[in-house]
Amino acid sequence: MAKSVISLYDVRRYYMMGDFIVKALDGVSLAIEEGEFTAIMGPSGSGKSTLMNLIGCLDTPTDGIIQIDGEGTMGMSEAELAFVRNQKVGFIFQQFNLLGKINALENVMTPLLYAGGVGIRERRERAKFALERVGLADRMHHRPNELSGGQKQRVAIARALVNNPSILLADEPTGALDTTTGRQILELFEEINSEGRTVVLVTHDREIGMRCRRQIRLRDGKLEA
Amino acid sequence: MLWENIRLALKDMMASKLRTLLSLLGIVIGVASVIAILTLGESATKSITQSIVEGGLEMVTIFPNRSEKASTEFTEDFGEKLMANVKELKTVLPVNSSSATLRNGQNTTSASISGVLSTYADILDYKVASGAFFSLTDNLTSRQVVALGSTIAENLFPDGNAVGQYVSIQRNQAKSYLVVAVMESKDASFNLSFNNGIFIPYNTYAQRFIKPANVGSYVVRIADGADPLVVSDQISAYLDSLVGSDAYNLFSPASLAEMAEQITGTFSTFLSAIAAISLLVGGIGIMNIMLVSVAERTKEIGVRKAMGASPNTIRGQFITEAVVLTFTGGFIGIALGTLLSWLVTDLVDWHLHISYGSFLFAAGFSTLVGVFFGWYPAMKASKLDPIEALNYE
Repeated sequence: MAKSVISLYDVRRYYMMGDFIVKALDGVSLAIEEGEFTAIMGPSGSGKSTLMNLIGCLDTPTDGIIQIDGEGTMGMSEAELAFVRNQKVGFIFQQFNLLGKINALENVMTPLLYAGGVGIRERRERAKFALERVGLADRMHHRPNELSGGQKQRVAIARALVNNPSILLADEPTGALDTTTGRQILELFEEINSEGRTVVLVTHDREIGMRCRRQIRLRDGKLEA
Repeated sequence: MLWENIRLALKDMMASKLRTLLSLLGIVIGVASVIAILTLGESATKSITQSIVEGGLEMVTIFPNRSEKASTEFTEDFGEKLMANVKELKTVLPVNSSSATLRNGQNTTSASISGVLSTYADILDYKVASGAFFSLTDNLTSRQVVALGSTIAENLFPDGNAVGQYVSIQRNQAKSYLVVAVMESKDASFNLSFNNGIFIPYNTYAQRFIKPANVGSYVVRIADGADPLVVSDQISAYLDSLVGSDAYNLFSPASLAEMAEQITGTFSTFLSAIAAISLLVGGIGIMNIMLVSVAERTKEIGVRKAMGASPNTIRGQFITEAVVLTFTGGFIGIALGTLLSWLVTDLVDWHLHISYGSFLFAAGFSTLVGVFFGWYPAMKASKLDPIEALNYE
């Protein structure tokens, strides 16, 4: 049996909104195994983003246990959480979130900088390799504003892959792209997944969700049966 | 990591040049003024001491004050007594001075008149332009001969050829004096005026003018090779024990040089302290721009955190940026301050003395300003919540 890379046990995430408690996630338990291609689906406000932020260690739960690659994140310091994000998780955002002042290659090199102990030469080689992997070898020295939407998302995927994380977390990765480009990006995800990497994709688009092998549906902060 | 941060900071600075320049202005002005003040202070000191040294470090002048003690001790025998008690003195010359009116035909002028020994000119390195300074015999026989300072000679004998002619020196009654020498021009120093003075034999002065009970002043020449500062201290010590410190004034070029150095040093320090206030103001400007930068780049900070940048890393990035800013400001300031000093010294004809210590100080201080004023914005950046930062628009 494949091991779980992501395990959640009764995870809750509550916010205070004035005098009200918003239960963004209200007792979610799930396990995602290594090599799975999972879509987290649900209408807006259902807790998809909260769930993704928790899996990505950008946020910590109000209650419950989260394990990433077998490691509990409870009680971790900011620096330790940063380390987990750096080593275990690759983020892909709807709006790409590339750094505008540096070129594609430097963008992809950035996570390796935070990994520590990786020399500049190795950083450059690995970033080049990742950009080649997503088919952007000829755009390495362009800045984000010189790239099309699809190219930007490819750079972002290369950046997410460069540190060889266990999990690829994508939040509406095709949301800002046209249909054709979106399909190509999705195909890239499928390719990456077929190489054995766990992919978790947040989407409200049914069509995209159905292309994933597994769907997790959220409604009002709870898993739908 | 540090290099990456520096590179990033430079990129950011170049991306908004005008803003960078404006935010640096405070630091630049602060550092430039500190550098200019220190450099000019040092240059001034060097120029002043240089002119003092040229006046002759080995001379010390003693002026007795009117007091009971002084009147018993400061006599013509004092020179021998001093020589006996302080080693390393070459000679002690008594000098009596007053002022008088001089006349040659229609030309009149007032001058300070000094009765001096025949060795006076040699000892003070005071050169004769024409004729010869009066001799030992002239003094012993109290001849009415005079050596004219250069300005006096010009005033009384506009056509030159003063030597061999007579001038009338008016003091109660007019007396004629034979001009034996016209002296070269020599800068006045330490209460000894040369160009506006005339010099007659010591004994002639004593006879012709009211003989003072005491000697007006003593010019002391320190032995060659002796340390003028040490010897003049020894003279002071001896005089203190003899008559007390209130009974005389002592002028020594060496001690004056030291004093000049102290005064300009104090001045530079004081002015630098004031200039350093603008460094403080500059630092606040840096803090301001860094806070703006952190606010503007909230999203970037969020993205970096998502990619695994720890709070320490983010803090390091922004502190580095502040330091790169202030260091650049310091560098420009050093260049500007040095340029300013060069212009000023060139204008007033001082020798430019660049103080590399002040460069180091300015560079170090501006770095410190960067760390100090960059700290708070950097802390702010490092504590941003990654999700809020990512969603910031």
